[in-house]
Amino acid sequence: MTTRALAPEEQHPHAALPVLAWGTARLLAGTSGGRLDLARHREVHGAPHPYDAHRLGGALDAVRLLGRGGAAFPVATKLRGTPVGGRTHVLVNGSEGEPASHKDRILMQLAPHLVLDGALSVARALHTKRVTVAVQDVEAHASLALAVRERTDARRVRVVHQDHGYVGGEVRAVTRAVSGGSALPPGRRVLPTVHGIDGQPTFASNVETFAHIGLLLSLGVDQFASVGAADEPGTTLLTMIGDLPHAALRRGAVVEVPTGLPLSALVGPEPGPVLVGGYHGTWSDGPGELVVSRPALRAARVPLNAGVLARLPRDTCALGEVTRVAEWLADQSAGQCGPCFFGLPTLAGTLHRLAAGAPVLEDARVRARLLPGRGACSHPDGATTFVLSALDVLGEEIAAHRAHGHCGRSLLGVLPVRGAGAAA
Amino acid sequence: MSTTTRHEHTLAIDWTRCDGHGLCAQLLAERVALDEHGFPVLRDAPVDDDLLPHARRAVAFCPSLALRLE
Repeated sequence: MTTRALAPEEQHPHAALPVLAWGTARLLAGTSGGRLDLARHREVHGAPHPYDAHRLGGALDAVRLLGRGGAAFPVATKLRGTPVGGRTHVLVNGSEGEPASHKDRILMQLAPHLVLDGALSVARALHTKRVTVAVQDVEAHASLALAVRERTDARRVRVVHQDHGYVGGEVRAVTRAVSGGSALPPGRRVLPTVHGIDGQPTFASNVETFAHIGLLLSLGVDQFASVGAADEPGTTLLTMIGDLPHAALRRGAVVEVPTGLPLSALVGPEPGPVLVGGYHGTWSDGPGELVVSRPALRAARVPLNAGVLARLPRDTCALGEVTRVAEWLADQSAGQCGPCFFGLPTLAGTLHRLAAGAPVLEDARVRARLLPGRGACSHPDGATTFVLSALDVLGEEIAAHRAHGHCGRSLLGVLPVRGAGAAA
Repeated sequence: MSTTTRHEHTLAIDWTRCDGHGLCAQLLAERVALDEHGFPVLRDAPVDDDLLPHARRAVAFCPSLALRLE
């Protein structure tokens, strides 16, 4: 299959976020001057060492690499669950359907060869040549398509442009779409490693995961693990939005940080609504003692998911922001499953009434609690986490709305939603 | 105390198939309720042996073939 060319009118201008690395730049090494072509990439990163599946699994275990798409599944376990052989596929999921997240597209735009190094190394270890990259962002697609042409070892890599929204970016939906089907999560539990692209076993993971595999194979275990937390060594990419303490981040940013930093160092120590993990993520009142590593945040029941952090500024209506995202989440339902298709709009409507001062806080909670586990994918579960944690954190705000029908602040639209108009 | 291992049955729904007909809630009210939109809400409990015939009937009567026993 060939790469689909994109017409100029499909290329939408978007204000690129600043990109920064704090401490050691790893994934973003050498990118301050822009995209790394193949020659520059090899200067910065060298070439990855060729590992067989056994050795690659051992190295992935040693650095405890977890998937960076959201589920944080151990990559070594996934590799061991994937059969070796020419029928196996490797799928790089670059859909990044969450409008708040930019880290994957930035990585593909700036360091496409690191992503390809990782994907081709996994393919080599699995003795297959079938590699597919599914991308939504137009510039990221162009960068990867160019990268494939720049190298001689990627001729069989196919780069596919897909724009199927949030739920369509779920890995099983991407797998179906790449196989020529509809971009919908299947109704029965299927593992891509068993039944993936074209019904064949598929090692599928997120763009950032593959870039870390590329890094690991050029740095080696010791060097890779020389920064970051012991429970998840190395660095992680974050997309940060909202009211952040560092001047450079005021407009939001994609940041590479070593794992193990206190969350307060990133979002400031003050109380106030902080969102960890994006639109399927969890609100917390201030950063508390939270530490940015996937195992630590999961243990604290605030999973990092795809790495979106947000702090709401004091001058926006927080309940309005949450309601607007809840409405967007309702719009994102694939329409396959009744509890999600009917339940999410009803929940969003309840939040709307709550913001208008109606005494429906308990109704909102009851409706949200009914959603988890009742869909083909985890979209309703994620929406529930987002809404319930917001209701817990926004107590004062909700009381003000109940008393006055509003909180006196306007809705700035700090949390971006694709397809919605500018801030109200 | 039993010496043989018994298979515990649980209900599962293929949500992409379920259209909210609601027969399951009538045939197996002990384990299935309906939400405000008419879609089933499963009680978080295994299906005991005495309920098994009713559960099998609910599965067989589901017009969308969405309900199953695992």
